[in-house]
Amino acid sequence: MKTLDRIIQQHRVIICAGSGGVGKTSTAAAVALYAAERGARAMVLTIDPARRLADALGLRQMGGEECIVPVSGSGTLSALMLDQKGAWDALVERHAPSPAVRDRILANRFYQHLSQSFAGSQEYMAIEQLCELYECGRYDLIVVDTPPTQHALDFLEAPQRIADFLDKNVVKWFVRPYFSAGWATFRLVNRTAGVLFRKLEEATGVAALAEVSDFFTSMAGLFENFEARVRRVYELLRARQTAFVLVVSPEEQVLREAEHFCRMVRELRVALRAVVFNRVHTEHSGARGVLERERLEALVTRAGGGAATAALVENFLRFEAVARGDMARIAAFRRRLRKAVAVAEVPNFDADLHDVAGLQRMHRYLFGAAA
Amino acid sequence: MLSELFERRLLVVVGKGGVGKTTVACALALEAARAGKRTVLAEVDASGRAAALLGAAPIPLGQSRSVAANLHVLAVDGKAALQEYLGLIIPLKRLLDAVFASRIYNYFVAVAPGLRELMTIGKIWYEAERADDSTGGRRWDAVIVDAPATGHSVQYLRMPKAAHDAFGAGLVARESQRVMDLLADPCRTAINFVTTAEEMPVNETIEMHQQLCRELGLPPGYLFVNRVHYADFTAAEIERVAAGGQGLQPREDRAVLAEVVRRAHEESGWAAINAEYLRRLKREVRLPAIEVPYLFTEEFGVEQVQQIAAALAGAAAASAPRRGEP
Repeated sequence: MKTLDRIIQQHRVIICAGSGGVGKTSTAAAVALYAAERGARAMVLTIDPARRLADALGLRQMGGEECIVPVSGSGTLSALMLDQKGAWDALVERHAPSPAVRDRILANRFYQHLSQSFAGSQEYMAIEQLCELYECGRYDLIVVDTPPTQHALDFLEAPQRIADFLDKNVVKWFVRPYFSAGWATFRLVNRTAGVLFRKLEEATGVAALAEVSDFFTSMAGLFENFEARVRRVYELLRARQTAFVLVVSPEEQVLREAEHFCRMVRELRVALRAVVFNRVHTEHSGARGVLERERLEALVTRAGGGAATAALVENFLRFEAVARGDMARIAAFRRRLRKAVAVAEVPNFDADLHDVAGLQRMHRYLFGAAA
Repeated sequence: MLSELFERRLLVVVGKGGVGKTTVACALALEAARAGKRTVLAEVDASGRAAALLGAAPIPLGQSRSVAANLHVLAVDGKAALQEYLGLIIPLKRLLDAVFASRIYNYFVAVAPGLRELMTIGKIWYEAERADDSTGGRRWDAVIVDAPATGHSVQYLRMPKAAHDAFGAGLVARESQRVMDLLADPCRTAINFVTTAEEMPVNETIEMHQQLCRELGLPPGYLFVNRVHYADFTAAEIERVAAGGQGLQPREDRAVLAEVVRRAHEESGWAAINAEYLRRLKREVRLPAIEVPYLFTEEFGVEQVQQIAAALAGAAAASAPRRGEP
């Protein structure tokens, strides 16, 4: 079985996926830091609006600007926070045929709303940014922290969703000046849609529909590019240089979601190379007999536990119960994993990891003896 | 007793992913049902988690099922809600079917920004206000909403106002106004926050409280602080045992003792972190706070949700949170 150490040596892109709240950001940052400390030009890309990475790396300001994080060793660690709104605008700027069209799109209310709340736009822009960083060739390793969604799959499905959104066959309905004869004819010819649009007009007022129509008309010139881009994005996600690392915590719900992710990964033909279990409690492997309360209390008393003895033993046994559950769930999950997938278990430390020293504490567990 | 909170009919539960928001929403629903209220737990972005935690089979999108006495779970889905809504305003089944089958409709539903969110909130409003067919009174005494994770929740709750502002006149504006009125009414609605006492969730909670209560003017309810650790021993006591265990024989005993010490450090480490962030939370978010102790358990299921429900009721009754087992 490969180790995570080998995986980062053999790939140029690492995508940390997983549902929110499992420590994905710390893991991504720890992986990039490790590579940098070993001489790589590493980049960690985060998308989190909560500025999690900024906290994790002690950075204050990262609004779309690349930051250099000081590391020991010959490598470099850069960090970048994706400014989602800016990224959409940048995309429009890059592909608009003329400044006039660009301004019209940017001023369109529908667009403004879309660029902020379209499901998957965050994920899509992350991948866009990844493509750009990858193509510029300045990095040996790019680690991507994915948005904190409930569903890790959103990240994989986002490009397709955007492609569907810009589906030419459907878009042509909207790409017509709203007040032209075309629209009235369309309503007459297509009765079902006609009724629906009349209802829509009643519901929203003509202005809103005109806005939508105008958006699509302005965007029409950009669609060709998008399809090619989405294809390229998937090529990069499926490329040999790209490895997915699934980050999970040993909780029932999280693992159930993760199983689903593993199935989808195969369907989408991307490579899941490693699973990182975060915040794990490990069962004590001592002789069973020692773990009875009375014997433990005698032991702690011998060591000078005094009045705190009962509380210390109670605490130990409580954690032992949690650890039994964690171990059983992880074992069951691992049985269903393909043999080739690397596995790392990171314990639940006694502190929050929000600085370089904290991230370094993870290395021994992520990379084993190599660290 | 949570009776003061339950005076509001609509309880929205928001929080960052991974803090136990669904668990707290389920526990609140159990308590409401136990108090004799006809309760529905509305699961938004239905992942089936709530049904699973309450020991029920998965619930199909857009449908509701009874899972316990006085308690239903409803899997809210924007698309299903839109169909239901259109069914109310276009009472022509054949035409409706044609609309739903048309590609342009499905496209529109898929892409219209905010439409699903708007419909989801609309459906929740409908459930909170709807009449019971048989009695003519309200159908539910308590509607508890397990909202999606942070950023997405804000989008949902913002949507009625956004729609109202965007569509100056027309049906949507009128409907949105009614939804806004319900959401902003402190007699009918309370927005409840769930967090753990750690850096990231606390940051997000402070931010979300600012966005929802100060900027959007929604009425706050309680702040639930989940998974709080309380070490029942001091650092000095841990150190004493660690030092005293150095020379222990046999080696196995020494190893066990080292593990006792390590876990004591883990517990007191998190207890310190929790205490620090609890202080910060209470300073920044001035809401009645209920602490839920961390549950040391091998598995997490219905029984654990019931324990948390009991802890909520107990903590709400007592002025100070209890220590030890819930």
